Amino acid sequence: MKVTRRTTAAAVVALTAITALTACSSSDDAASSGSSESAAAPASDQTLTIWLDEQRAPAVEPIAEQFQADTGITVKSVVKDFSTVDQDFISQVPTGKGPDIIVSPHDKLGAYVQNGVVSPIELGDTADQLADVAVQAVTYDGDVYGLPYSIENVALLRNTALVPDVATDFDDVIAKGQAAVEADAKVKYPFLLGLDPKQGDPYHMYPLQTSFGSSVFAQNEDGSYDATRLTLGDEAGQKFAAAVKTWGEEGVLNANITGDIALEAFEKGESPYYLTGPWNVPAIKDAGIDYAIDPLPSAGGEPAQPFLGVNAFFISSKSENKVAATKFLTDYLATDAAQKALFDVGGRPPALTTAYDEVAAADADVKAFGDIGLDGVPMPAIPEMAAVWADWGGAELQLIKGEGDPAEVWTKAADNVESKIK
Amino acid sequence: MSAPALSPRRTPSATPTAPQKRPFSLRRWFRDTGWRHLVALVLVVFAVFPLLYVLSASLNPGGSLVGSNSLFTTIDFSNYVDLFGNPSQPYGQWFVNTLVIGLTTAVLTVFMGAMAAYAFSRMRFTGRRMGLLSLMLVQMFPQFLAFVSIFLLLSSIGDVFPAIGLGTRLGMIMVYLGGALGVNTYLMYGYFSTVPVSIDEAAKIDGAGHARIFFTMILRLVAPILAVVGLLSFIATTGEYVIASVVLTDPSTQTLAVGLYQYVSQAFSNNWAIFSAGAVLAAVPVMVVFLLLQKYIVGGLTAGSVK
Amino acid sequence: MSQHETTATDVAPSRPGAPAPGPASASDRGRRPRPPRRIESGTMVALVTKIVLLGLLDAVAAFAIVVMVGLDMWLPIVATVVATGLINWIYLGRGTRLPGKYLVPGVAFLLVFQVFVVLYSGYVAFTNYGDGHNGSKDDAIAAISRAGLDRVPDSPSYPVSVVEKDGELGLLGQAPDGDVVVGTSDEPLTVVDDPTLNSLGVPTGAPGWTTLSLSDVLGRQGEVVDLTVPLSEDPGDGFLRTDDASTAYVYRSAIVYDEATDTFTDGDGVVYTDDGEGEFASADGQVLRPGWKITVGFENFERAFSDPQISGPLLRVTVWTFAFAILSVATTFALGLFLATVLNHPRMRGVKVYRVLVILPYAFPAFLSGLVWAGLMNPEFGFINQVLLGGAEVPWLTDPWLARFSVLFVNLWLGYPYMFLVCTGALQSLPGELEEAARVDGAGPWTVFRSIKLPLLLVSTAPLLIASFAFNFNNFNVIYMLTRGWPRFDDTTLDIGSTDLLITMVYKIAFGSGGARDFGLASALSILIFLLVAAVSVVAFRRTKSLEEIN
Repeated sequence: MKVTRRTTAAAVVALTAITALTACSSSDDAASSGSSESAAAPASDQTLTIWLDEQRAPAVEPIAEQFQADTGITVKSVVKDFSTVDQDFISQVPTGKGPDIIVSPHDKLGAYVQNGVVSPIELGDTADQLADVAVQAVTYDGDVYGLPYSIENVALLRNTALVPDVATDFDDVIAKGQAAVEADAKVKYPFLLGLDPKQGDPYHMYPLQTSFGSSVFAQNEDGSYDATRLTLGDEAGQKFAAAVKTWGEEGVLNANITGDIALEAFEKGESPYYLTGPWNVPAIKDAGIDYAIDPLPSAGGEPAQPFLGVNAFFISSKSENKVAATKFLTDYLATDAAQKALFDVGGRPPALTTAYDEVAAADADVKAFGDIGLDGVPMPAIPEMAAVWADWGGAELQLIKGEGDPAEVWTKAADNVESKIK
Repeated sequence: MSAPALSPRRTPSATPTAPQKRPFSLRRWFRDTGWRHLVALVLVVFAVFPLLYVLSASLNPGGSLVGSNSLFTTIDFSNYVDLFGNPSQPYGQWFVNTLVIGLTTAVLTVFMGAMAAYAFSRMRFTGRRMGLLSLMLVQMFPQFLAFVSIFLLLSSIGDVFPAIGLGTRLGMIMVYLGGALGVNTYLMYGYFSTVPVSIDEAAKIDGAGHARIFFTMILRLVAPILAVVGLLSFIATTGEYVIASVVLTDPSTQTLAVGLYQYVSQAFSNNWAIFSAGAVLAAVPVMVVFLLLQKYIVGGLTAGSVK
Repeated sequence: MSQHETTATDVAPSRPGAPAPGPASASDRGRRPRPPRRIESGTMVALVTKIVLLGLLDAVAAFAIVVMVGLDMWLPIVATVVATGLINWIYLGRGTRLPGKYLVPGVAFLLVFQVFVVLYSGYVAFTNYGDGHNGSKDDAIAAISRAGLDRVPDSPSYPVSVVEKDGELGLLGQAPDGDVVVGTSDEPLTVVDDPTLNSLGVPTGAPGWTTLSLSDVLGRQGEVVDLTVPLSEDPGDGFLRTDDASTAYVYRSAIVYDEATDTFTDGDGVVYTDDGEGEFASADGQVLRPGWKITVGFENFERAFSDPQISGPLLRVTVWTFAFAILSVATTFALGLFLATVLNHPRMRGVKVYRVLVILPYAFPAFLSGLVWAGLMNPEFGFINQVLLGGAEVPWLTDPWLARFSVLFVNLWLGYPYMFLVCTGALQSLPGELEEAARVDGAGPWTVFRSIKLPLLLVSTAPLLIASFAFNFNNFNVIYMLTRGWPRFDDTTLDIGSTDLLITMVYKIAFGSGGARDFGLASALSILIFLLVAAVSVVAFRRTKSLEEIN
C-alpha cells in the first residue's frame, strides 16, 4: 500500500513536471525562433553597454539616442561606483560579461593594459583634433587606447576681495595670505589645501613638489614614464620634504583640514587662497565668492606643474561590438557637441581642441584651468604608480605634523616604494 | 488549537505581581523604573548624536559633513527635493528595490532558518552536531574576495535563467539567502529548544503530522525570535553594499546602499548634503520594520504561550 | 565528551522525530513509541502542494538542463541532476529523511552561494590570479597580438566598405592614389575597374562583390575587426584593417604568434615562449604583458610563510586582532545586555520609543557611519574635540593607543544594537518562575541577574558571541573606513599600522604591495585566517558546552 502511494506520488510529480515543461517549451520555441530571426537583422537588438559615473550619464544619453536612431544599436548606460569601477572592469572583462565601453581616468590605463582588458583604437585624423597631452595620456607602450574627452588639473584660486593681486611665487602667496589673516579677523587661514588626516594628499601637493624639480618617475623622451627609474627620493625631493616640514610648522599646511573643510572655509571667505580643481568651482561661485584663478605658484624656483588627469572612453578587449563601439567613440563622442555636453555636466575643459577653444572663449575659468593643464604632464599611468601613493602621502603627512628629519623620512618612503616595485 | 494545559514557562515576571495601588513615591519610582529612564536617556544620546549630525547636514544645502559643528543652523529641505529629481539616480526606485529585496530576503530567511532550527531542535539525525557547527563555521570565511566568485556564479546562472542572473533583484535575493542559515539557525535553535516538547507530543497524540505541528503551532510559539531574525536579516540586507554593487549592475535594480555610495565615491563632487538626506531616509524603513515587529519581539511570546 | 558524542550520534538515526530534551520533557523521554506510519503531511492539500512544487522544481531543472546542454555546461548539468534527484528522493521518502525535508531549502542556498564561494577562493589560492594574470591564455595571445599591430607611421587612411564574395569577407576601399581596390585576407588588394561610388566618392560596391549593409556588418563585428587584407604579395608592405568598417589603415605586426610552436616572435627576431608561469618570456627574461591565469600549487602558501614582509609585523597584528575581536564582543555584549535588561521591565513606560532610538546606529547605512565618525573625530575640527571637549586637540585617530581605543569605541556604537536585539530575545525566553522563585528565596535583583539570568543567557547566546568574535576578527570595514589601519608602524616597509587587523593587512599585502593585485596570495592568506578563526571557534564551542547541551 505504502509503496503504491509513494510510486503514485512520484508519478504525479513526473506528470506535473512534464506538463510544466510543455508549457515552458512552447514559450521557449517562441524565444528561440526570435533569436534566429535576430541573426538576420542583428542591428535591431544589439546593445552597447557603457559604464560611466552618475555625472557623465545625462550627457551621454542624448548622444546615445542619436546613435541608436542612426544605427539601430541601443546604448545602455550603467552607472557604476567610480571608486571601484576599474577593479570591476578588470575582473569582469575576462568573463565576457563586462561592458563594451568604460569611462575612466587615464591613470588606470596601465593596469588595464597589464591585464589585457582594453583594446587599442585607431583615432585616425581625430587624433590631430585632440590636445596633444590628452592623446599622450591615453597612449601606452606606443598604442592609443582611448578617446579622451576632458582634462583636469588643479590651480590656485584666489579670493579677490582679500588679495587683489597675483602673487609671484609661493612665498609671496604665504606672505599675502598672512597679511590677509592679520588684516581681517574673519580670515583664519593664509592658504588652503585639502588634505586627509590619515593619508595626506600627494596629488594636491604635487605642483609644489615639481617646483622643486622633484618628480616620481623619470620620463622617457616620448613623455612616457620609466617604472625602473624612481626619482621620488632624489635630492630635489628631499629639498621639497624640508619645505613641507617648514610649512607644517608655520601652519601653512594643516593635515586636519580635509577637502570639505577647506572648501567650506573658502566659501565662507576664511582664506584668500585655495589650491583646488575645477570640480569645486561651481560651489564657490554659488557661495558668492569673487575669485580669480591664478597660475600655480612656484615654491622651489622651477615651474609648478600639476598632475594632469585625462578622462577617456576605453573599449573592452572582449567586446563583441567593436565596430559599433569604435563608431560610437570616433563618430559620435569626438564631436564638438558631445564634448561640450560632457563639459556642461562635468565642468572640466574638453580634450577636443575645437570644443575647448569654443568653451574657453566663453568661460574664463575653463581657460585658466585649461591653460595650466595643457602645459602639464599626464599623471603616470604605469601600474607601478599604485605602489607609490601610500608611502608618499604618509611621508608628507608625517612632515606636515612636524615629525622626523625631512631627508630621512623622505628617503625612507622612497626606499619603501622601491622595495615594493622590485 | 486545543491548548495543552501546560504551565507557560515563559510568562513574564510581570503577570504574577499585578500592579497594586500605592501612593506615588518619587524614591520608589526612581528605584523601580526611574533610573532605567536615566540610563536609557544616556544611551539614546550616545546612539543618536552622530545621526543628528547627519540629519543637520542633510538639512543644510551645500553643507559639508565634516567641520560643520553648529547643528541645525539652517533648515531647508532642498536636498530632499533634489534627491528625487535626478532621473539617472532613481532614488524612489532604489527605495522600492531596497524594500522588495530586504523584505523578501527577511521573510524567506526566517522561513528557511526556522525550518532548519526545527529540524535541529526536534529531530535526531547523524551529523546533526557537525551540521550545526559547520553552519556557523562556513560563515566565518572572510568574504572580501567573494565578489569574483559571486559574479561568475550569477553570470553563469544568468546564461541559463536570465531572470535570476546578474543585475536582477531575484538573483540578489538568492545570494542573500545563501546566508539564511548559519547564525540565524543558531539563534532560532536556542529559542526553539525552550518550547516544551510536550506540546509536540500532545499534538502528535491528537494525530497531527510534523508539518502541521511546525506550521500551525511551533511557528506561533517562537514568534519573538522569528521577529528578531527577520529584523536582523532586513537590516543586514538593506545595509549591505559590497556584494550588492557587484550583483546589481543596473541602476534600475540597485538598492539604496549601492546608489547612495555613488554619491560618496565621487571623490571630487560634493554631494554630502544630498547623500546625508538619502541616508536619513534610508534609515526610515528599518525603523518602520522594527516598530512593526516590536510587538512580536516583546509581546508576542505572551500571546503565544497563553494560547 | 567524545564518548558522549559518539553515543548520541549512534542513537540518533533510530529515533526519528524524537523530542529534544528540555526540562519539561525529561519525564517523557524514551516513553514514546516510534510514530505510527501514515502519510506524514496529513491532509490532501499538503500532499498536492508538495507534489506540485516538486513537479515544478523538476520541470525547471529539466528546462535548465536543456539550456545547459546548449551551452556545454556539463559540470553544472551533473550538479543539477544530482541535486534534483536528491531533493525528490528526500521529499518523496519518509522516516530518516524527515530532517532533510526541513534542511533542504536553506542548505541548498548555502551550498550554492556560500560553500561555493569558499571553495572558489580555495581554488584561487592555488592560482596566480591577479594583475597581469587576469584571464585565459587565448585572451592573452589575442591581446598581445592586437597590441602588436602598429599603424605604419604617417600612412594614409582608406575609406572602405566591407564586402563579401562566396562567404568570404573583403575590404573595398579607395587607395590614396584614387584607385578603388578590393582584397581579402588571402588575396592582396587588386584594382577594381568598375566600382560604384556614393556621392562622397567613397566606393560602395564592386562587380562580383556583395556590399554588407551596416546591420550586416554589425552582425559580424568580430569577423570584420579581425579581417586583415595584405597590401601586396610582400607581407612587409603591411595590411589594411578597420575598426569601424568605414575607415581602414595600414598596419604592420610588430610581433607575430606562431600557433605550431606556441611562441611569439618580434620584429628583432626575439622569441618569446611560454615560461610555465602563465606568461610569454624571452630567453633574457623580457616578459610580454598580459599573462594569463594558471595553477601554481602551493606557491602562494609558501609565500605567505616565507615572505619577510608578511612575517615581520605579523605577531603584533595578530595580538591586536585577537584583542580587538575579544574586546569588541565583550563591550558590545555588555552594553547590549545591560540595555536589554534595563529596558526589559514590565512597568516601564516609553520602552518602545527607547528601543527604536537605541537601535538607530544599526539602522543607519554602515559604510556611512565610519565616515561620519572619522569626521567627528577630526582632531581640530571634529565635533567631539571642538564642541564636546571645548576645543581640545585630542588625536583620536592618529595616536596609536587612542586610535585603538577609537576603533573599539566606534565598533561599540555600531555593534551594541545587535547584541541588544539578541539579548532582548534571549531574556524573553528565560523562564519567569526561576526569577520568582529566587526572589521568594530572598535574592536581590543583582544576585538574580548574576547567578540565574546571566548563566542562562550565556548558554543561549554563546554561539552568537563566538560568531560575533569571528565577524569582528575579520571586521574589515570599520578599520578601513575609520583609520585604514594607521597610524603606521615606523619599523616596517609595509603600509601596516597600529590598528590593522589580519584581514586589512592581507588586503594591503594582496592589493597594495607593488601596485599589483594578487588574488592568489590574498585567497591563500584568507584561507589561513579562516583556519585560524575556525580553530579558535571550535575550541570555544567545546568550552562553552553549548553543543554538549544539544546532545
